[in-house]
Amino acid sequence: MGLGSQILEVIFPILESLEPLMPGEIFPYFFTLEMFQRALIAALLVTVVAGYLGNFLLIRNLALIGDGLAHVSFGGVAVGVVLGATGPLWYALLFSVIAAVLIHEMQTRELLTGDASIAIFLTGMLALGLVILRLWGEGITTDIEGYLYGNLLLIDNESFELIFLISIVSLIALALMHNGLLATTIDPLAARVQGLPVRSLGLLFSIITAAVVVSMVQVVGTLLVTALLVTPAATAQFLGKSFRSCVIWTQVFGLLSVLLGLYFSAELETGSGAMIALVAAIIFALVAISKTVLLAFIKPKANL
Amino acid sequence: MIETFVCEETVLKVQGLYVNRSNKPVLKDINLEIQCGEFVGLVGPNGSGKSTLLMAILGILHSQAGSIEIYSQPPSSNKTLGKVGWVSQAAASLPPHIRLTVRELVRLGTLNKKNLFWRKRVSEERVERAIEMVGLSHVADVDVTRLSGGQRQRAVIGRVLASEAEFILLDEPLVGIDRESRNSLLQLLDQLCHEQNKTIFMVSHDLAAIRQTTHRMIYLEESIQFDGPSDEFPDLTGLADLRGIKHVHGHDEFDHHNHHHHHHSHEKKEEE
Repeated sequence: MGLGSQILEVIFPILESLEPLMPGEIFPYFFTLEMFQRALIAALLVTVVAGYLGNFLLIRNLALIGDGLAHVSFGGVAVGVVLGATGPLWYALLFSVIAAVLIHEMQTRELLTGDASIAIFLTGMLALGLVILRLWGEGITTDIEGYLYGNLLLIDNESFELIFLISIVSLIALALMHNGLLATTIDPLAARVQGLPVRSLGLLFSIITAAVVVSMVQVVGTLLVTALLVTPAATAQFLGKSFRSCVIWTQVFGLLSVLLGLYFSAELETGSGAMIALVAAIIFALVAISKTVLLAFIKPKANL
Repeated sequence: MIETFVCEETVLKVQGLYVNRSNKPVLKDINLEIQCGEFVGLVGPNGSGKSTLLMAILGILHSQAGSIEIYSQPPSSNKTLGKVGWVSQAAASLPPHIRLTVRELVRLGTLNKKNLFWRKRVSEERVERAIEMVGLSHVADVDVTRLSGGQRQRAVIGRVLASEAEFILLDEPLVGIDRESRNSLLQLLDQLCHEQNKTIFMVSHDLAAIRQTTHRMIYLEESIQFDGPSDEFPDLTGLADLRGIKHVHGHDEFDHHNHHHHHHSHEKKEEE
């Protein structure tokens, strides 16, 4: 039994004790049925990590890299499924990390501009996945669509272990790299003069991004990864006054999106990934509108 | 409370430096020595090799010939890490949409190879001192994007002060800053030289401002055409002789537009 399952054993009783407080008819199952409990914990975990990561993606102008890597992951999943792997996520991880490293190298060597290299990998690997599924995908029982739109029921014990591992390692790595990433993003030249390993930090960051994207694929689906990666962080920009406070607000909006998304998807019987993405977008719109309206009424503060 | 301690260390020594960029010679036979505590201004028209010289000093560009020594070490040597600081142009280098307070920005200066992953608490004191030195204590928790151009540049200087670098290189710090804040910014740099014994090497287009504040000026156009005390820096006609130009347009600053306006091209022909 892996570390993830052991943690779950500890958390399950806590969730069960919360069950009476939960509204709705189906939503409380997230607190009582093991399969749903596991999905809930996985969703919360990836949201925390994705939100933290998203803040760095935003300032590095890499908002769409998550989308690109998610499509690459889908190619990896397709290959894994066709090869009959029990854990296709491992294939996704391999593909995604390789793509992230190559994209990073292409960008730092200025072979292509950022967006172009992402676009090429995105379409190329998605196409590979689709072709492979067409050619050898007959009789496959795995829910391929679940990887496109997200399907919480795909999260079995094995993939939970992987999601747990990726989340914990990425969270610790990001926390340790926090200052270094900030320094190299804001002013790479000054960081280099200070003796910071600008390139290694960038490379490590790319690998973490690739892994986090893979951990999100079953929860929100390859098409919707950006919803948790970027939307909460972008919403936080309206309220945060410092980088630190933006990171905290991101967690508030991310977790709110997931809990509300799971609630509505359970009660209305829609796909969880789509509902989470929709809620995240609605929260963004509400915050953006209220901030704009408030600013229109309150006189802008004189320049300090 | 002015501490004046004399230092006679050679901070920078450049000898016979040649640097090419995309196979074209940009710097030719540069010889230059800067002593501790000097405030040196580097001027020259666009494309004259000012940034190339800075990048070579930082060890980012490699030279074709000649040598550069910083505190008697080659550029970007491990031994001088932390002694050299870089101040980029705030107007160009800060990402426009970031939420980052002055304190957060200045704090980044305390990072180095050793404390990259785990910063010690002690350095907080250094951060506060640096913020105070650049006069931004009252806006320490304000988002840098909401500050004026001058304040933003001060914040970037605060970052380098927090690093406790001794030799500070600045690239066009006066761009996008109004006249008043420009003067107080120059005053701050002057203060750093006199009171903190920092050595400052500043690139700028703003000839008037540099002449007023720096101790020494270097005029660069492929090679060093003038190097001496700022009050001996040639006036407009003298400068024209220096550049081999007969007609100088009535500007006291170098023309930013040399590259964009074709009617200036006759200057270049005459130089050749």
